[in-house]
Amino acid sequence: MARMKFLCDAERCIACNGCTTACKNEHEVPWGVNRRRVVTVNDGVQGAEKSISVACMHCSDAPCIAVCPVDCMYHTEQGVVLHDKDLCIGCGYCFYACPFGAPQFPQQGAFGLRGKMDKCTFCAGGPEPDGSQAEFEKYGRNRLAEGKLPLCAEMCSTKALLAGDGDVIANIFRERVTVRGKGSEVWGWVTAYGKPGQGQPATQGGTK
Amino acid sequence: MSKLGEVASWIGLLAALALAGPAWAQDVPTNQQLIEQQQQRRVEQPGNNAPVWREVRSGRSGSTLVPGNEMGVLILSSGQTWRAARVPLAFWGGLLIAAAIAALALFYLIRGMITVKEPPGGRLIRRFSAADRYAHWLLAMTWVVLAVTGLVISFGRDLLLPVIGYTLFSWLAILSKNVHNFAGPILIVAVPWMFVKYVRDNGIGVEDLKWFVHIFGYFRGREYPSARFNAGEKLVFWLLLVVFTTILVVTGLILNFSNFGQTRSTMQTANLIHMTTAYLAMAIAAVHIYLGTIGMAGAYRAMKEGYVTEAWAEHHHKRWYDDVKAGKSRQKFAASGEGTASASGATRTQTS
Repeated sequence: MARMKFLCDAERCIACNGCTTACKNEHEVPWGVNRRRVVTVNDGVQGAEKSISVACMHCSDAPCIAVCPVDCMYHTEQGVVLHDKDLCIGCGYCFYACPFGAPQFPQQGAFGLRGKMDKCTFCAGGPEPDGSQAEFEKYGRNRLAEGKLPLCAEMCSTKALLAGDGDVIANIFRERVTVRGKGSEVWGWVTAYGKPGQGQPATQGGTK
Repeated sequence: MSKLGEVASWIGLLAALALAGPAWAQDVPTNQQLIEQQQQRRVEQPGNNAPVWREVRSGRSGSTLVPGNEMGVLILSSGQTWRAARVPLAFWGGLLIAAAIAALALFYLIRGMITVKEPPGGRLIRRFSAADRYAHWLLAMTWVVLAVTGLVISFGRDLLLPVIGYTLFSWLAILSKNVHNFAGPILIVAVPWMFVKYVRDNGIGVEDLKWFVHIFGYFRGREYPSARFNAGEKLVFWLLLVVFTTILVVTGLILNFSNFGQTRSTMQTANLIHMTTAYLAMAIAAVHIYLGTIGMAGAYRAMKEGYVTEAWAEHHHKRWYDDVKAGKSRQKFAASGEGTASASGATRTQTS
């Protein structure tokens, strides 16, 4: 069985936010909730700016699953982390535990009272029957059940965001790295051994 | 490297430390350093973005078009600390509460209810005014509701869920969460009211220390004379009410009203403090509730109706009793017939 994963290629992401918009539209996500977002590191700094699209990473040792007080989250056979909104109490513990800020809470009622948690489902819906109306209303479309991959990655204009079987997307990424063809610099030999002509082995003794 | 070079590098390092401040600051490169490293990488090792990933890992915020709190943070590590810390906290906290209840049950089996021999014809003393009691019961009822709902949220997944199943437990947990969130803010009123009503007789002195030294006498029927409140009650007042419950209110409000832009780190810390304090407070409250109900004859009636018997007062609060007798206390003997109707179970004729 495939293990579903996301991968965002920081060399390709142009921060167009197409993934964010595609996700929001496909799943009719509630107001104020964004299941996916694009973050730009060092925005506007020449030579150091990188953008990365982030959502639920569907962790194997998922902190949200570990801390949920009603145990409403689970892994599917494909490694996708899903949750049951009927059980969710809206306590916010998954939001405290998650390193990626994936769990979101629509504000229901006064004083910022948290509603049922909402997050990226890897386009795999929820515990309801696949493709049912109830499933769509709570979790959005179940594209995986239709044999399709997450829309954010499908829509990505530069194919920076990859989603699917971990082995397959790892191969795609590996191919890209080799084609970019910078040689040993990519995996950091320069860091370890210095630039050509630099850092040659000491002729005698060496430092202790 | 030569010996001289080694010494020079040590001196250089020490000088750098002295100039740059604390040593721990050296481990974390600044944003500017990472940017410069990344720009360098672009020339020397294009495709190797380690400095950017280091920046991501540091939890610093980038920029994003998605509105919301901390949306620019890609990876926040403190959630892992929070997750890891909760496990031993809940384990030992739960064990502490269970141990406190078990110890009280054992004590009840061995010692039974602490009673006072009542001579016939004893008078009643009005120990608590109506306002005293209302303040206490507003706080007590809210507190117990919060404790029970908090325990459901804290330990339900391990203890209740396997027994009653997902659907029923989720229903109970939703109820608990909402009751907890709406009952909590009542304490904003209840705690200061309780404080104002009771602080007067809760001053701490040397006599209180002596009371604790003679604590074993308390359980053997030879109590060290105390004023209106003994040192144990004062401990409950200062520790349980003033310190613990205030901490619980403050951290609870931080967690409850998440719409004021507080960060996840703030809420993680608040949650850990909230948990720790709640477990300690519940263990102390268990002793307080025990002594106020099945542990000691006359104590529950004192808070329910306001009256204690003369013998009870003399036995448990000798110095206070002497003051009442001498007319120096604000609490007075009940008028003839006052309070006795309710004591005998008949319709109450007197309200205080």
